[in-house]
Amino acid sequence: MKYFEDVHVGDVMRFGRYEVTREEIVEYARQFDPQPFHLDDEAAKASMFGGLIASGWHTGAMFIRMVVEHMTPVHATSGAMGFDDLKWLKPVRPGDVLSVESEIREKIESRSRPDRGTVKIESRIENQRGEVVMSLVSLVIYLRR
Amino acid sequence: MKYWEDFEVGESTELGSHSITEAEILAFARKYDPQPFHADPEAARRSIFGGLIASGWHTCALMMRLSVEANRREEAAATGSPGLDSCRWLKPVRPGDTLTGRSEVLETWPSRSKPIGFVRRRVELINQDGEAVVSIVGITMYRRRPAAAA
Repeated sequence: MKYFEDVHVGDVMRFGRYEVTREEIVEYARQFDPQPFHLDDEAAKASMFGGLIASGWHTGAMFIRMVVEHMTPVHATSGAMGFDDLKWLKPVRPGDVLSVESEIREKIESRSRPDRGTVKIESRIENQRGEVVMSLVSLVIYLRR
Repeated sequence: MKYWEDFEVGESTELGSHSITEAEILAFARKYDPQPFHADPEAARRSIFGGLIASGWHTCALMMRLSVEANRREEAAATGSPGLDSCRWLKPVRPGDTLTGRSEVLETWPSRSKPIGFVRRRVELINQDGEAVVSIVGITMYRRRPAAAA
């Protein structure tokens, strides 16, 4: 288990594999982001995106799934305060395969809670061509040893 | 149609409300964020949260849903988002909570290369006790008013 003391600025982790399907893009969009370019092939073709794309928040949800599968079991984290500087850089389309590269950016000790600290982690979500489709800096709470 | 030109700094919009159920929290968490305090009611009771709480990504998804519905009511020519400056999950969201959305325009600027403009706004969801549970500052793109309609 990696605690606050065990992660270091500059550490890089690569993990996850998420196959994006048309069915899942449409299902997420129906529930949470019912805009035509997330829902309907024909409408999406006529849009500036030229075809169906995933909701950006859906990409975020797929990212957290990969984090919970691969990072959470081996890092002593207790949720996150949020994130900064989220960028949706490229469309995510049916058939894309996503993965994550995360880098420790900064460690902040808590003044009020000596049992924990905040770690700023920059994550880049990439597709099968190595293009970054989304990036963000998460503020993750780590427990101390 | 509400175009980029029609947004003014300081204007605020009520986005409407959503009451969240335990079934919704579990369904989202089991698919996308299966940490025990989001996906397992019994384990959640024993966690530091003392009960089931929604994934922060679920809360953001609900905020998006309310924003899309508000855009539709206003007939706003929204055309996606390049991203967010910040997002903070401020309070736990629990089954039965009623979340009400509110947004405020902070800044607007035109694209130099495309017939669109950008709107930076703060969006918050407030629970039934008046507490903000999530606060974001994000950017949305809107189409410009066509010259013929100006």
